[in-house]
Amino acid sequence: MTRATQHISLLFILSSVYLATFLGLIPLPKKVQSEIIPVLPFWAIVSFGAYLLFSLGWGVLTFKDTEKAFDELVLEIDEAKRDLRAKGVDVD
Amino acid sequence: MAPSKADKYSVILPTYNERKNLPVVTWLLNKNFTQHNLSWELIIVDDASPDGTQEVAKQLIGVYGGDKIVLKPRAGKLGLGTAYVHGLQYVTGNFVIIMDADFSHHPKFIAEFVALQKAHDYDIVTGTRYAGDGGVYGWDLKRKLVSRGANLFATVMLQPGVSDLTGSFRLYKKPVLDKVIATTESKGYTFQMEMMVRARALGYTVGEVPISFVDRLYGESKLGGDEIVEYAKGVLGLWVKV
Repeated sequence: MTRATQHISLLFILSSVYLATFLGLIPLPKKVQSEIIPVLPFWAIVSFGAYLLFSLGWGVLTFKDTEKAFDELVLEIDEAKRDLRAKGVDVD
Repeated sequence: MAPSKADKYSVILPTYNERKNLPVVTWLLNKNFTQHNLSWELIIVDDASPDGTQEVAKQLIGVYGGDKIVLKPRAGKLGLGTAYVHGLQYVTGNFVIIMDADFSHHPKFIAEFVALQKAHDYDIVTGTRYAGDGGVYGWDLKRKLVSRGANLFATVMLQPGVSDLTGSFRLYKKPVLDKVIATTESKGYTFQMEMMVRARALGYTVGEVPISFVDRLYGESKLGGDEIVEYAKGVLGLWVKV
C-alpha cells in the first residue's frame, strides 16, 4: 500500500465517521452536537497548520551552525595537501 | 561488539570534476579508517571528467595501493544511481558507504556510523543534519528555512522515520544496498530520498548519527526555484509510488 493510498484511506474513514456525527446518526450530548461537531474540521485544519508552522519555526530556530567543524576542516585540508604533495600527488 | 576482522568497508565515490577534492577526501578516508583499524577500500566511479580527476586517482593508487583505491571510470555523465550500481559490481567489502566528495561529508563520522551499526545491527546508518548535534556550516536563514521546510514536507507526506531524508551520507550492509537500489527509479537527489523510503518500506532498520555538514567550502550554496519544484515533484511522486 502506497503512502498516498494510506493517507487517502484514512481521510475517507475519518470523513465517514465525521459525516455520521454531522448528520446526527451517532447519539451525542446536545452541546457536543451543536457546538463542537460543526467546527471540528476547521479546528483540525487550523491545528495542523499551526503545528506545521511551529515545527518549521522551531526547526529553523534550533538549527545548529557548525563553525567549529568548518575551522577544523580547513586546517585538516592544509595538512592533507602538505602530506600529499610530499608523496607526489598533484594538489593545488 | 566491535567490527570483526572480516568486516570490510567499501566507499563508492561517484566523481565528476573532483580533481581538487579527490586527493584530500582520500587522505581523510585513509586517516580515519587507519585510525580506527578498519579494513577499507575506495571505489571511484568517474564519469569521464575533463579536468584530470582520473590522473589524480591513478596517483592516489600509487600512494595508497591498488587494493585500497579502485578506479572504475565510465564513458560519460550517466547519473548518480547508475554510478552506484556500477561501483557496486566491484565492491569487495560487506558494507558500503556512500558520500559526497566535496568535504560536506567528513570521513571522521564513518567510525561513528560503524560503531552504531555494530551496536544494533542496523541495516542502514544515515547521517543527519537535523537531530542531536547535527548541523550545517554555511547556510543563511533563507537556506535553513527552505531546508527545514522541504524536510518537513517530505516527512509529513512520506513519514519515513528518519530525521534527514535528503541526506546522502550513509552506511549500508551490502546486500541491503543491492536490494534497495534495484527497486529505485528516480534521478538526482530524489534518488537518495527514494532509497531511504523504499528501504523503510522493505522493513530495513535505520540508525542515525548527527553529522556536521560543511556546505560549499569554496563558494555560495545555491538553491534555485527550479530545484525546489523538482524536489516537490519528487516527494509527490514517491507519495504515490511507495
